[in-house]
Amino acid sequence: MIQWIVFIFFSLLAILSAFGVVFLSNPIYVILSLLSVLVSIAGIFFVAGAELVAAIQLLIYAVAVAVFYVFVLTAVPWEKAFKKDSHYRVSGLFSFPLVLILYLEMLLVFLIGIGVSPKGELRELIKKLGNTEVVGSILFSKYFLAFELVSLVLLIGMIGAVLIGRKEGQVYEDDTP
Amino acid sequence: MEGLLAWLVITLIKIVVILAIVLGVGAYLTLVERKVAAHIQRRPGPMVVGWHGLLQPLADGLKLLTKEDLFPRYGNRFLYNLALVMALVPATLVFAVVPFGPEFEAFGIKVKPILTDVNIGLLLVFALGSMAVFSIALAGWASNSKYALIGSMRKAGIIVSYEVVITFAVMGPIILAGTLSTYDIVQNQIDQKLWYVWLQPIAFVVYMFAMLAETGRVPFDVQEAEAELVTGFTVEYGGMKFGLFPLVEWYIEVLSLSAIAVVLFFGGWSPINIPFLGFVDPLFFLGPLSPFVWFVLKVSLLFLFVLWLHWTLPRYRIDQITETAWKVMLPLTFVNLVLTAVFAPLIWR
Repeated sequence: MIQWIVFIFFSLLAILSAFGVVFLSNPIYVILSLLSVLVSIAGIFFVAGAELVAAIQLLIYAVAVAVFYVFVLTAVPWEKAFKKDSHYRVSGLFSFPLVLILYLEMLLVFLIGIGVSPKGELRELIKKLGNTEVVGSILFSKYFLAFELVSLVLLIGMIGAVLIGRKEGQVYEDDTP
Repeated sequence: MEGLLAWLVITLIKIVVILAIVLGVGAYLTLVERKVAAHIQRRPGPMVVGWHGLLQPLADGLKLLTKEDLFPRYGNRFLYNLALVMALVPATLVFAVVPFGPEFEAFGIKVKPILTDVNIGLLLVFALGSMAVFSIALAGWASNSKYALIGSMRKAGIIVSYEVVITFAVMGPIILAGTLSTYDIVQNQIDQKLWYVWLQPIAFVVYMFAMLAETGRVPFDVQEAEAELVTGFTVEYGGMKFGLFPLVEWYIEVLSLSAIAVVLFFGGWSPINIPFLGFVDPLFFLGPLSPFVWFVLKVSLLFLFVLWLHWTLPRYRIDQITETAWKVMLPLTFVNLVLTAVFAPLIWR
């Protein structure tokens, strides 16, 4: 009963804030609505009993990712920061079919995922071991190859970031001594 | 239904007690800070209001509440006020996962003195702790002032760097304890007869550095740097709104992070530890109250240590602070992590 009330509260909050992300014109408000979406999704995870996923949602999405948007936006003078003047409307229209394909793919993956996901088999395991241990044991047994591949992708991303951020030698013409 | 009602009542009582303790103690710590600072600098400190200035926090509060509420022109009033809420709420929420003592029985009901014993409590502490970035960035941006903006960017940079460091620093104790629940970490230290500070001195030192940086204590208080930035991101706030930011940063956050440090490294509510042999309790005469007294004692000692540093050291530059985080502290935590992962199985088997 209480679970349902909390779940409905967080879902409504998430949907409302998602509308805010799309329709608000001041970018700082957009970021705050995004933050609200992420936090309420973490709340939904908590209600569903997936504490580890909820905490990671908070730690990585709500803090680490959203902070960088805030960083960028706080450096913008706030009279210039409104969405209306700087929106690529025509380009947005052209990119619509691509976005549609992406959403269709997400839907497909979701439906297939429901078909193959273990129904209720993990519940016993979670009760016996606890959230973190179950996620760890599944990652390092069943999905070990995928896990290692993802870590490889992350490593490549890191090397790319280091390459972009390195100090370049004298490349540009520099007149000042 | 009966069980649900009891659970609701107990949770409500816990929330009220924790809020009262945190906010009340937070206000009175201003007096402690002023007294300690004064005696470090060989002054008497506040002496006029009440015996040895004991009523000084009340007088300060009254003064702050009756001040004029100024607002900067061209600022954003909604975000300006929202920043206050976003500073106070996450900082207080951290106390939801701080265990104050062992489980006890009152009126036939077993009570754990911790608000929610979720099995990922520690992750929650750091997620909520770094939410402080948003309040600071918003405060700096909504004030529409260059001083505030520079102060908030400095502070946000420091928090982002040290949040990484502190998360890796606590990995060592987590590996030794084998759990993320704060209550179970303390319980495991008591079962293993070992405070983790004996095996994790590097992690503890790094944790203390990161704690000072995140709470904006000296030597890492460049975000306010009175001489160059007036008072940083709080410059456009007046009255009680100004008072709230130091209250949150200097007192509530220092208290919560000290409590987590005690939980991780000093065995929570356990008495003095002799490694691998057992515990010695000079306060045994207090009976069932002794664990709570030990917890409070350890947290206040850590808090006084932070105060001592604050009023002794000079201030670092911003580039020195972030360089230390990425080039010294982070590699140290990696070394510590690898060492712990190698030696932990040898010790426990």
